Amino acid sequence: MKEVIIQGLEQAYSNLVHMFAEFLPRLLVMLVIVLIGLLVAYVLKTILRAVLHVTRLDRLSEEAGASRFLRMAALPSMTELLSRSLFWVTWSGFILIGISVLGVAGLQEQISRLFLLLPAIFVAILILFLGLVTANFLSRAALLAAVNAGYPSPKLLSWSIRFVIWALAVSMALEQVGVARQTVIAAFSIIFGAFMFGLAIAFGLGGRELAREFLERSLTEKKREKHEEPQPL
Amino acid sequence: MAEESFLADDFLRQLMSVGEVDVLVGIPSYNNASTLEQTLESAEESLRQNFVRERAVILNVDGGSTDETRQVFEQSGERKGGIHKGLTSLRTIHRVSCLYDKSPSQGLALHSIVAAADLLRARACAIISPATSSVTPSWVANLLRPVYREGLDFVAPLYARSQFQGLLARDLLYPMSRAIFGQRIRELYSEEWGFSGRLASQCLEKDVWHEEAVRARPEAWMAITAISGGLKCGQYFLGSRGVSPAGTGPDIVEAIRQTVGNLFWCMETNQAYWLSRPNSQPVTTFGPDHELSPDGLPPSHEKIFELFRSGVSELEPILGSILSQDTHAQIKAIALSDRTKFHFAAELWVKTLYEFAASYHHTVLNRDHLVQALVPLYRGRLYSFLLEHTNSSAETMEAQSEILCQEFERQKPYLIDRWTAKS
Repeated sequence: MKEVIIQGLEQAYSNLVHMFAEFLPRLLVMLVIVLIGLLVAYVLKTILRAVLHVTRLDRLSEEAGASRFLRMAALPSMTELLSRSLFWVTWSGFILIGISVLGVAGLQEQISRLFLLLPAIFVAILILFLGLVTANFLSRAALLAAVNAGYPSPKLLSWSIRFVIWALAVSMALEQVGVARQTVIAAFSIIFGAFMFGLAIAFGLGGRELAREFLERSLTEKKREKHEEPQPL
Repeated sequence: MAEESFLADDFLRQLMSVGEVDVLVGIPSYNNASTLEQTLESAEESLRQNFVRERAVILNVDGGSTDETRQVFEQSGERKGGIHKGLTSLRTIHRVSCLYDKSPSQGLALHSIVAAADLLRARACAIISPATSSVTPSWVANLLRPVYREGLDFVAPLYARSQFQGLLARDLLYPMSRAIFGQRIRELYSEEWGFSGRLASQCLEKDVWHEEAVRARPEAWMAITAISGGLKCGQYFLGSRGVSPAGTGPDIVEAIRQTVGNLFWCMETNQAYWLSRPNSQPVTTFGPDHELSPDGLPPSHEKIFELFRSGVSELEPILGSILSQDTHAQIKAIALSDRTKFHFAAELWVKTLYEFAASYHHTVLNRDHLVQALVPLYRGRLYSFLLEHTNSSAETMEAQSEILCQEFERQKPYLIDRWTAKS
């Protein structure tokens, strides 16, 4: 009995030693990969930051109004945000490769799935950023043009433009990462269609007078208004 | 030469056949068939009588007219043997034309004229707009003579104005440019002006012709280039300026985008010059330095106030990012005041403009958007001006204008503080 127990313990110890002997080199490889990843990610971050500084992305972001949103959300500047994103995406990729080297059963498939998603997530973030910049720029341009021309409800026009571009950007980003692709397309089509249909009904039926006034103003009154104000130069 | 890369071969051939000239009259055109003939006659008459011994060329640069402008120019050149009184030119007055682009652009037109002036080694050049219906031979001579005979490098026109005409120039462009660049040139933004071959060569060397500010208002950029380059500038009183119905000029929004956008851009690109510039100095002036006639009728201004009030309310976040808290609060307060007692004080107006200029420099938002956000505030100032001066005499208005100019100069250190502050 005693011998059996000792033999069992010896076997367990031997298995443990064997397991450690197998696992330790893998762990070391993983750590090396993670360290190399850290170095590569840092180098890429530095390069991207330098390139973005040269291309004056922060100024563009400031002009388009995206920086204001970043500040409101207590986020760093656009250059810093994109550089850090690249750093984390790259390093995460290396960490996942490292973990896969450990050979833990079951984890392999999940990691490879996640690994495949990383570039898509990065592209989706980029799409959202571009959508944000475009929406801000165009909605502000519309607001200024409408205010200066004296059109009614300039904020409504501005927010409508912002909403449509945001909806488009969000649906594109979700489609990019493959989240409920069919649902997203259907939802976007319904929202966009309903929005345009609502506008058509409101403007065509509910606001016939407004439509007439708008067209009259656009086609005839604009010239008259131009001369109502004194010649500036 | 740089100009060889963009001037068309046919245009170059025409210029080469002319050889060198002493004076050049440039006429940029776009759908001016009905008025071009008169402009050409005035230019030719002026050259014939005032520049008898000089070699001269009249240059028409067209921006893709869809009417018969180009044919009018070509046919008028074929007229021969007219009867001319008094002295006539001893030399042939050459005529050259080119199509600089398929769409009109003041900057591209001037680029072609300046390149031609440089190639022909012209000593004095004048730009005349065919949209101006009151051009006389003396106008052309008065723009060319100070350059050719007095050695000036830039000659701006001075126009006789009615009381309520050109208010953007009187309330913003002249006082601000005077305070910033230190030269009292009243009509920096005009359709007629004169310049030397030396200034043309300097301008040609600058790689800024693609910039929107230069494309829209090249004349002001040219004047500021002359000022910052230490060249001699002057102005000549031409009289009252009549405009053909087709050439009434841009509306208030477009005018502000073009002129204020140009002024801010010139401030940005010439900051090394003006940041250390002391107060303004008068420039050489031929004739009276202003003439306001009391014949103008004040425009109806009820709607102007509504546009100001709604603009201040609708653009609140945008104005908040451009203006200081104090200035923004003052503007919001006057927007809520009673329309009949409304007053947009000169001090607040100057402070507002300087904060806009500094925000343009720090790019707090898209620069064209920033300039557009000024439109409602200008309308407020305009309304206040009209309310105050409906029954004022021309002398009172001129005195107020001078006070405004001095206010711009008084507050210049405030602009420099905001301009040089870290964003």
